[in-house]
Amino acid sequence: MENLGPAVTKLLEELNPFAVLGKGAAPGVELAKNAVVLTNYSFFLIVAVALTAIFFLIASRRMTLVPKGIGNIGEWGVEFVRNNIVLDVMGSEGVKYLPFIVTVFFAVLFNDFLGLIPGMKPGTGTLGTTFAWGIMVFVVYNWVGIKKHGLWKYLKSFLPAGTPLVLAPFIYLLEVISHVLRPFTLGVRLYANMYAGHIVLGIFGIFVVMAAAALGPVTAVVAGLSLAMQIVMYAFEVFVAFIQAYVFAILTAVYMNGAIHAGEH
Amino acid sequence: MGGSLSVLGAGLAFGLGAIGPGIGVGFVAGKAIEGMARQPEMANKIQTTMFIGMALAEAIALLGFVLAFVLQAAK
Repeated sequence: MENLGPAVTKLLEELNPFAVLGKGAAPGVELAKNAVVLTNYSFFLIVAVALTAIFFLIASRRMTLVPKGIGNIGEWGVEFVRNNIVLDVMGSEGVKYLPFIVTVFFAVLFNDFLGLIPGMKPGTGTLGTTFAWGIMVFVVYNWVGIKKHGLWKYLKSFLPAGTPLVLAPFIYLLEVISHVLRPFTLGVRLYANMYAGHIVLGIFGIFVVMAAAALGPVTAVVAGLSLAMQIVMYAFEVFVAFIQAYVFAILTAVYMNGAIHAGEH
Repeated sequence: MGGSLSVLGAGLAFGLGAIGPGIGVGFVAGKAIEGMARQPEMANKIQTTMFIGMALAEAIALLGFVLAFVLQAAK
């Protein structure tokens, strides 16, 4: 087990967000200043987003009352988001925003699942991507609120009705901070789950390979247990990938609902 | 061991910061299961609310996670 350290370092280099596509880990690669390159993650981000678009283009090509094949799967997915996220959280008036939430849900889902295929990376495994998506959700839900109430009334609605005048500045500041923290937590939650999950899978993979290479009766048992654990963790990561997409979409819906009903609580 | 105190601090920031949210998420899940067992017809609504509550509790752990990165970068 003396070379565990280098193996873990190699794993972290493999998952380095700045590793350029086709050139391996970052340290050896010299980049010109302001160079525009594809990293491993951004390549798979583009692939996953393209897959999402292609999937729904095919699914909506021939729309019939009773859909068949891919169209059926697509409709099932959209209905899942409508019934379990939009209708549950926002009610029937939220159906207007269904396209945005469906897009967010499936973009995250396809990215998460693509990263689970060995050799591929999740586009959502870097903070840059997920934080950008968090900011996008932040902009959209505030825009929805401003459009619905007008800028002045929306800004005023952050303050709960009946707040004593002395407390008003502090409460307003707290509300603004809680709004500003939303894109951070959205982005970091998704990124941390994806990145940490891949490190766990990688660590168990290292255990399996190292214990099996040691060729002893005890290490054989360790290798077997690690392999079993890795399979369990893989199943768990599939579950986590789905749950994170679900949570991302449901929080988008919750924030939008809050913006639509601003000032009513 | 080439680590410094800031690395130790980063580990502690996340580790200690995850205790509270861990307990909180456990409470949320446990109470949601209680509610679902008592009223199975409300299971869908409870599940949705459970995930929202979990996400909010989790956000506190994420602050520790970010702080860990900040501390590591500050060494």
